[in-house]
Amino acid sequence: MIESFREVARSIGNRYVEEWKERGRKVIGYPCTFVPDEIIHAAGMLPYRLRGINTTTLSIGDTYFGPVICSFPKCILQLAGQGGYSFLDGAVIVNGCDSMRRLDECWRKAGEDYPGTLPGYFRYLGVPHKVADYSLAWYADELRAFVKSLEEHFGVSIGTPVLRRSIRLYNRARRLLIGLDDLRSSPETPLSGEDAAAVVLAGFAMPREEYTRMLRKFLPGMEKPSQVMNGRKRLMVVGSTSDDLDFFRLLESSGGVVVSDTMCFGSRSYHDLVDEKGDPIEALAARYLSHKFCPRMFGYYKERLAFIHERALSARVDGIILQNIRFCDLHGSENGIFERDLEARGIPCMRIEREYGPLVETGRIRMRIDAFMERIS
Amino acid sequence: MKRETREYNYDWNIWTILENAALVCDGTPKEYRSLLSCIPHFGSALDIFIRQGEPGIRFIRLVSQYIRNCITARERGKKTALTSFSMATPILYALDIVPICLEAFTIFGTVVLKRGTGEFLDYCCEIGFTETSCSSQRGALGAYLSGLATRPDMIVCNSPGWCDSNANSYAFASAYLGIPFYQLNYPSEVSGKRSSDYHRQDYRHLISFLEGHTGTRIDTARLGSIIDETMKQDELINELSDLQMLVPNPVPNIYDLMIYGAKSCANGLPELTVLLSSMVDRCRENAVKGLPGNSTAREKARGMFCYIDHYTTDARLWDWMDANDISHLGSILCRYWQADAPYAGTHDGEGYRLDKGSLDSMIDTLADMTARMPMVKQIRGPYDAPQMWLDDNLRLARLLKADFVVYFSTVGCRNTWGAVKLLVRDLEKQGLPSLMLFLDAFDDRVMSWDAVTDRISEFIHVRGIA
Repeated sequence: MIESFREVARSIGNRYVEEWKERGRKVIGYPCTFVPDEIIHAAGMLPYRLRGINTTTLSIGDTYFGPVICSFPKCILQLAGQGGYSFLDGAVIVNGCDSMRRLDECWRKAGEDYPGTLPGYFRYLGVPHKVADYSLAWYADELRAFVKSLEEHFGVSIGTPVLRRSIRLYNRARRLLIGLDDLRSSPETPLSGEDAAAVVLAGFAMPREEYTRMLRKFLPGMEKPSQVMNGRKRLMVVGSTSDDLDFFRLLESSGGVVVSDTMCFGSRSYHDLVDEKGDPIEALAARYLSHKFCPRMFGYYKERLAFIHERALSARVDGIILQNIRFCDLHGSENGIFERDLEARGIPCMRIEREYGPLVETGRIRMRIDAFMERIS
Repeated sequence: MKRETREYNYDWNIWTILENAALVCDGTPKEYRSLLSCIPHFGSALDIFIRQGEPGIRFIRLVSQYIRNCITARERGKKTALTSFSMATPILYALDIVPICLEAFTIFGTVVLKRGTGEFLDYCCEIGFTETSCSSQRGALGAYLSGLATRPDMIVCNSPGWCDSNANSYAFASAYLGIPFYQLNYPSEVSGKRSSDYHRQDYRHLISFLEGHTGTRIDTARLGSIIDETMKQDELINELSDLQMLVPNPVPNIYDLMIYGAKSCANGLPELTVLLSSMVDRCRENAVKGLPGNSTAREKARGMFCYIDHYTTDARLWDWMDANDISHLGSILCRYWQADAPYAGTHDGEGYRLDKGSLDSMIDTLADMTARMPMVKQIRGPYDAPQMWLDDNLRLARLLKADFVVYFSTVGCRNTWGAVKLLVRDLEKQGLPSLMLFLDAFDDRVMSWDAVTDRISEFIHVRGIA
């Protein structure tokens, strides 16, 4: 079973997407956890979280983006320009951060130069940066407009009952993933951080029904005694987006196991549930906007510190790796204060800056990890 | 940070220099020239302003008085708020809060201090702030974080929605120093009822925050008089924009910096009105005589800055352009989008109009004004959407009869670096020669000033502009 998760996590296209497309169904890409998957699912389409793995050049990404931009959206644009996302029928770009929001224009312009690489449905979703009654109302309106545009463009209907069903389905998978987190937090964590990441990542690229079935089959096997820890140190990873299994392998190569995280391709994506009662759009708006774990939500540092601290304690971590992609000032700067405040609470931390994409700096990161492991051993 | 840098507070240090600089104008021209030789590292920058006569002298005095107000606020029983250049300050003054404009303090330090803000930029990195963050905040922020400047009582920023780097600096300062934080957040559209309602609700929450942290309530009469003053200032700034459209441009280059520098310090205060009046008078005289604002009395080319200016090395940008007979047509920072501004009004609701009719109308229209401050208006949405960056630049370039457009920025500007290649391509397609330079407007270590002038000169030559 883990092989199936790994296979999906390591590729852009996968057999589930191929089968989905063969049945004549649509796929909608999105780059950030502030886009509710449930709406796309309720439209009968496959929500697919955009990634930039397996890029070998940034020739297209650098043509449209400027030089001091995060490599994550650049890699997505690179893949799109190369035709790597030709299976998409639509894409929703969100102002997750300033680098990400400009993917909207850069992809549109690249689409003019590389015909056929811009999906037929292309939408910008504005998400407020604060939680207040009026920002929730704004975001709920944005979601209603998003629903309407999907309905109009694709000739589908997204009624309340079907949206509720999608919410319940996604909540079920979230509960299963929270259960997996509990198992990872136990003294005998059942799987490596690399494999845990594969399990979570697969969920962003395959039909949720199938994914939930696979999780249900997979999790009971994780309750057996395991030799994964075997005296190794327990690590937690915090910070910028990371969907590269090799990065986790690298982190674990010096005698550690990643047993917890607060990343958007990780626990941040399933940590909280959507209210299953009441108006589904309002419920989605409340869950997704109140999701303050990303530093793009300004002024919620204390909540994020408490979240990390609580997870670190429950997972009994020996150390925290605070990482950020270069030019990700939101995570990078906040990591600086996390380091101060978490070290003051007795949790060893290491800050590291890296590039997204192929691990071209393995040696440097390995050296830093080795030094950190030596410190906490 | 060097020991001697820690000897005096950053803000106090700048204030004493500017306070004394303002006094040099009280002597005779001969005494003034003699004094300049005593301040070799600051003399050339000071002279750029003093040479302007009354407006330049008033500007130095206004800035000096502003900094004095910031550093003495606590002893005078006033609260201070660390805030951004993009925040319209009348509401803060109405609640007797002294706004400490971080970017203005970075510019003051960059221009005035012998070693610029390098050590403060680096100090931020030492305590965990990323080196890739925007230097326009980081320069002065290092002083506030290191305790070498007046500790603010609260933080008010209005950049979420249009600049993550800016907002992140203020959020970092709040978390690092443990200071209350309020953010005004902007949706991606500037006009229309939905955006307007959002702006206004958010603004009312800001007022509640400010009242809560000062223990005072808005005084309608006081707010009214500040709005009166702001309206006069808006008219004067609009007139300067009108005058800039003339060929030759009668507005001296340095007025670009003086407009937004002074507005960041004294928006809504009478001293800004007096300064702007003296600037308008001078430009009117030039216009009547058909003279350009340049000291050389020649205008070979007209350059517009689609984003910010360059502040290092004695603020030489404006002087260098002046010496090369190039008119500076302003940057994004000196456009405020009043409904009566010559560049506003194409789209319904694009500009704001202050309304003194009632307390509610004053608050609502101040919210409208704040939502159209420089950068808040035009880089919040897709660059090619109506009323956004491309739209504004094309309109301004045509009105101002610009020969070329320049993009200067900072290494920390994720937002504009994410779209500027597209913008430049589109401007060029419209026949506007456009130059994009990879530099940091506050940090010469990225590209030296000499390299900057070489690149601009070469661009002008190669494109046959002048």
